[in-house]
Order: sequence, then structure tokens, then C-alpha cells
Amino acid sequence: MPALKIPRKVRSIVAPFVESRVPGPEEFVVLSEPLLNATLKLAELLRECKPKWAMSGDAGELVSGVNVSADHLSILTTAEGCEEISRKLAENLVQTPGMVERKLEREANIDLKPYPVQIKSYEARFQIDGQRLDVYGGLQIRVGDWEWGDPLDYSPEYVYVGSEKLPVVPLRLKTELYIGLGWMDRVKKINEAMTRRHHGPGFGG
Amino acid sequence: MSSVIMEPHKDLVCLGAGFMSGLVAAEVARDSHNYQVVAITKGPWWDYVSDFSTTKYDEWGVGLGRKYDSPLPVQSTTIRNSPTQFALPVRRYTMPIQYHALGHGVGGAAQHYGGTMGRQGPWGYQQKTLTDTNYPGKLTNIQSNNDLQDWPLDYAGYEPYYHKWELVYGLCGTNNGSPNDTSSDLNYPWMDSSYGSKYPMPPHPLTQVAQQFQSACLATPPPQGAKFTSYHPFPHVSSLASQPYTNVPYGVPVNPCVYDGYCGGNCNYACETGAKANAAYRTIPAAMATGNFKLVTNAYIFRLVWDATSHTVTEAHYYDAQGNVHIQPGTVFFNGMWGYNMIRIMLLSGVGVPYVFNSGPPQSGSGSVGRGLTNGYAPYTGTSVTGTLNLGANSYSAGNASGGSVDIYDLMDDNFDHTNLNFIGGAQIGLGGYAGGGPGNITLAGGVSPSNTGVGGTFKAKQKDRYLPTTTGVGATPFAPDIPTYDHYVDLDPHYTDIYGDPLSRLTYDWTDNMYNGATYLATVVAAILTKMGASNVKVATTPPKVHNDWWGHHLRGGCRIGKDPASSVFNSWNQHWLVGSPSTIGTNYFAAGEITNTAGDTVPSGTHVAGPQSWRAAEGIKQYLMSPGLLTP
Repeated sequence: MPALKIPRKVRSIVAPFVESRVPGPEEFVVLSEPLLNATLKLAELLRECKPKWAMSGDAGELVSGVNVSADHLSILTTAEGCEEISRKLAENLVQTPGMVERKLEREANIDLKPYPVQIKSYEARFQIDGQRLDVYGGLQIRVGDWEWGDPLDYSPEYVYVGSEKLPVVPLRLKTELYIGLGWMDRVKKINEAMTRRHHGPGFGG
Repeated sequence: MSSVIMEPHKDLVCLGAGFMSGLVAAEVARDSHNYQVVAITKGPWWDYVSDFSTTKYDEWGVGLGRKYDSPLPVQSTTIRNSPTQFALPVRRYTMPIQYHALGHGVGGAAQHYGGTMGRQGPWGYQQKTLTDTNYPGKLTNIQSNNDLQDWPLDYAGYEPYYHKWELVYGLCGTNNGSPNDTSSDLNYPWMDSSYGSKYPMPPHPLTQVAQQFQSACLATPPPQGAKFTSYHPFPHVSSLASQPYTNVPYGVPVNPCVYDGYCGGNCNYACETGAKANAAYRTIPAAMATGNFKLVTNAYIFRLVWDATSHTVTEAHYYDAQGNVHIQPGTVFFNGMWGYNMIRIMLLSGVGVPYVFNSGPPQSGSGSVGRGLTNGYAPYTGTSVTGTLNLGANSYSAGNASGGSVDIYDLMDDNFDHTNLNFIGGAQIGLGGYAGGGPGNITLAGGVSPSNTGVGGTFKAKQKDRYLPTTTGVGATPFAPDIPTYDHYVDLDPHYTDIYGDPLSRLTYDWTDNMYNGATYLATVVAAILTKMGASNVKVATTPPKVHNDWWGHHLRGGCRIGKDPASSVFNSWNQHWLVGSPSTIGTNYFAAGEITNTAGDTVPSGTHVAGPQSWRAAEGIKQYLMSPGLLTP
């Protein structure tokens, strides 16, 4: 059959359609390929790691569906876990494990007042396929001049990254931490992710 | 007043934004050459929270009004059973004409499908050669007017693409029940460990019925002629995420299934968490993140412009929602539209050689576009086997459409000797899935009448039994593959048009003998397994003769083949459109892949899974073509 001619006159049609707003690139949650590859390698290297560990930080939230941007990987573990990970990732070690205490760039916001936030942990740093990995063992937080909190503990949740089952710090714990620090923008981002996951309200209001 | 708007040139223009286009768009947009890509779809962007999380529970609007689906007043198709009949248009989505509605918008039909997956095994890719070799003359005896062809690549050629595609879309399962013995003549879709010997996510939890089926399979002796010594049951492969997932290599996080019960069920329900794999929540985000990709929604493509001199498609023309005409030029065009829409736009635009049926005798045909229409689904009036388990249930139980069941591939393909059987191939048998179609209040409302439910106490007892039954019905409707014939095809309807005045596609199709012949044998074999499960009242109901196809379900396949011969196939192994030319065959800038391109009725229910690797290969082909235009060689 020969090709039909395109009609010269455009027909005026009232066709049913559903209004559509295409999200912008910033609305999609995507872990960058270098971090994704480093995550896969990390999961493989730590498959037999006995002490409790879980992916944390922005990348940990991102693989859980939270719309944040990440520029490195983080692991939350115990001091023993930090030692064990350092042994397993010896070839990737950049900073040997040791106690580190420092002030975070972002301050807490409690009752509309800013407070400095300090953390201390048994910490090591690595490079996995060119990507930075920070490992925090027994992380404690102090706000202002209050007492240090207990070392963070959690029951990991799991995310499959490809075929790799990866432990991640639960978003519920992150929410509680952010509420305590008054970082409500981060609480909101987690709530948005939980709303998309459970079609209902997330944690913490 | 409508306008004509010229759009900026793109390296790749994707027609449609569903399963196939999404992957191709992501792969090409992510390429290091920063190719500019656009995807054009006739429907909207669906946000699963705002569009589905509450409104999908509107059973009437979704199940009968089909409010998420492709609007038939805009575009439909006509159907008939033979070339001598007058085809009539499909005007509504309800049974018996059609209850598997076509998709609409970003994600396409996969927004509301059941997520059933399962690779096609080696036999499926070489049905013709293997049948002619192992059973000379059988094919002609079964279907004298058959037009069966092999795929251009064998299973081993597609396996790497399967693996990559499964990581992107995130499939759940273990393996395929495969003994992984690639050297044997068994036809399981084996999973080579060098690519990963299992699906990325674990399967959904098995139901009690599925567990009973699994045990019964292991305890039931194989039928006579089986090439296996015992059945290999395995959890059903599903594309509904069973766990929180991040896909590879795109890094797109995916929410897990929440088992809300409103899932596939006649392909009614979209997913409210994005757990149901489709392009909108797996590949399009990766394409968007590159900044090289543009998505155009509510845009109805009505023509491709074919340059007969350069043998290329130069433009796609589409209407926007206001009736303006947009002209989209491009270097390469990828058609990821729904099957017969893909064929229709080619026929409307003069792309390729239209198939022409010759009634003979003997029957034959020439040309390729529209050739070899088949079906990948059971006749709903087909042969079935049923039984009753003494097992209580809860019809309101949560679940999804493709989780919880157990399958066997042992009765599929050539895993049993067909020498004395009057069919080729077999069927995937599965049992024990969740009730994933919602509680079905529409059905209930439609079924309430004194004649069939009684009144008063009788009515109440029937309703109680409906929602809290004390027994569970089990069964299967197995059928062997549909064999393409010369008289089953797609062309343009001479009488009916779409809303814009262009001819509709016309489907000429009826069930074929191989399907029915296989069904009778398979139902009997499955009956033995049901009996071993402890089912009572096991019955095999054979199909009444002279039952004709009266639907145009979206499991229709074929009609736009990939193949080895440019005279009888539309696309080569790279899913590149090719034409017999002089002095040599020409490879054009037009690519396509989809469920429709299968060369024969599937041996597994999910053509989507089978089409996935094609889209990956097409993406590779397109990138090659962009670097060096011309006919791609295998």
C-alpha cells in the first residue's frame, strides 16, 4: 500500500487527555554511576564481614529512595567493625583507623537557636574505585555543651543493589537524629521518600 | 488555530515511552557522546503517588471505565478471524472483546500489567529449525499454512542481554528451574553463571497453594516421553520488586511491593509505590538525569516521513493536546510503540514493504510489515483443568499479580518427546499466585441477582463463602505455542479511522490448531499433579470445537519480525530495519523492538521479558549506527 499523504489541513480535534506534568531531572533520585560501582564493589568485599555495619550518610539515604545528592560513601559500624573493615579493605586504606573528634559544618537548630554539633568515632577512610568511603565506628554525637550521646546503634534494613544485598542504616533512625538536630529539611526529604514507598505519612510528623 | 511547530533535531527520536523506548533512551542518552534524545508518547506522565495511591481503588473507573488506559475513541483497531470477513472495530475494553487494555503514557502497558516474567529458552528461538530437524514433516502436518521462522540469534546470543535487562528492571526469582546443563538437549532457559546465575532479587513469599504445588511436582512422576527425570518447580519470576532495590547500572532506587491486592487483575491496576517495573520508574529517570533527554507527553504521532532516496526516516510528525502539528527531525528513530501501533505507523508512512496475503492455494504471502501475527495467550474458552483443595482462604488477602506462585518449565518447549503428539512445544505451568486483582466488588455487584445468588440467608451464605471460602479452586489453562500462518496478519483497515481520520490497524487472527492440540495433552498431565496435591473433583474440560478468537488482547504478537532474511522480516538481529536492495541489502536509520516482534507465539507468558533483551541490543545497534551509519552486521 502506498504511503498516505499527510493531510494539508490540520483537523481540529477535541481528544480526551490527562493533564501531565513531567518531573524535572532534579526530582528523580539517581545514585551516580561511580558511586554505584563503588557500592557494588564494597558490598562484594564486605560480604563476609561479621561485625554489624550498614551503609549510611547521603548515599545510604539515596539507595533508600531519599532525594539527596551524594559525593561519597559512608558506613556506620562499631569500633570492632571499623577494624575488621580496615583489614578487609586494606588495599584501599587512605586513613588508618583511629579516634577522631570533630565539629560538623552544619549546626543544630533547637528551639530556633543554633548549636554546634560534634561527632566522635573510631574512623577510617578508604578509596574504592576512586570514590571516598568514610567508616565510622561507634559514632557519638554531642550538641552544644550537652553530654555525648550513646554510640549509635541500629538494626539494619536491607536494600538490594543489583544482586548485592546491602545493609543500610534505617531511615527511622536517621529521622530521629535529624529531628533531634532540628534538621527538618532532611526530615522532610525522608518523609517524602516514605510517602512514596508506603503511600502514607513517613516518620516524625 | 492550529500551528505547525518545528522541533530541534535530535540524535535519537523514540516513538513511545514504554518498556522498550525507556531502555533505549537511557542507554543512548547516557553514552559518552552526549547524544540528544527525545521520547514522544501519546499519554501523560503518571506519578504513582498522586495518580494512583488513592484513585486506583476506584474499581468501577479503573476496571470498567479504564481511566488509565489508551482511549479507544482516539485510536482503536479492528478485528476479524479470516481474510474473507469484514473487520469490526473494538469500541470498549470489556469482555468478551477485550479486557487487557492498552497502556497509555510513560511506562505504557507496563503501568498496569501483572509483572509476570520468565525467559524464553533455546527452543523458543529456533522453533522451526529444531522442529524440522527433530520431527521432519510435523510442522506441515500440524499447520500446513505455517509461516514459522527462527529468531536471528539463538538463546546464547540473547543471554547476556537478558542478564543486563533484568538488573535494570529488577526481577525477582531464583532461577528458571534450570539444571544449568547447557550441553544437554533440554530446553530450559539456563542461566550461565558468568552472567549471574540468579535473578537479582529473591522471589515473593510462596502461598500455601504454591507450596503444595511445589511438593506435588516433586512427588509426581514425569509423563511418558519426558526428557527429565523429575519436575523442576521454582518460584514464579516477577518484575514486582520484592525488596527495596537500586537498579544497575542506572542507580535508580525502587520501592518494594506493599501487597495491596490491587495489582494486575485483568491488567486493571497500576502500582502505587512504583514497585511494578516499568520505564517511568526504572529507565526514564536515568535518561532524565543525563540532561540529554526530553520527554514529550500527550503527543499523538501520526506519521513518519520516509525518504525513499536515502532510505531513511527523516521526521516524526505528531499532534499535541491542542491540535498543533509538531515536526521532530532526527538522525535515528526507534519505534517502541505498542505492537500493532508500531505496524500501523509504518504502513501509514510507507516504511518497509507491507505484507500481502495470497489466498492461493496454497496460501502464501509477500512483504514483511504486518506478517506473522500470533498470540501469546490462552483462549479464554480454552481447555482447562480444575480441582478443589480443602483449604480455606480470604479473598481480601493482600497480594500482587505475579508473586507467590510456583512454576515448572518441564512441560514447555521440547522437554518431552513429541514424536507421537500432534503439536510442538508446550506450556509453562504455574499455580498458587496471590489474589492480585482487588476484591472484585464490580463482579460481585454484577453477580447479585435472585437467580444466581438466592435471597435472604442464601444470599448471605454465598457472600460469606465468596470472601471467606472454605475451599480453594485450583487449575490451569495450558496451551501450546501459536504458530504463525500466512492468513494471520496486520494491515490497514479500509473502512474505519482514528479520531484524526487515518485508517485503523486491522488484525486478522484466529486460534490455531497447535494451541488446542497441545492444550488437551497438557491439561491431562497437569491433572495428575493436581491429584497429587490432594485436589478433589479434578476435571479436564476440553475446548468446544469452532471457538474463534474474539478479542484483541495485548498478548497478540508477531507482525513485525526480527529475522535472518530481509525479504520476510522487517528487522535484523540489531533490530535495525532492513530492506532488500540492489546491489545489496540496505540498513536504515529506523529501529524497533517490542513484544510484537516475536517470530512465533511465545513459549512463556511474558513476551515483555523476551522483548527486553531486544531493546538492549537495539540500543547497542543504534549507538553503532550513530557512529557509522549503514547496515549493521551480526
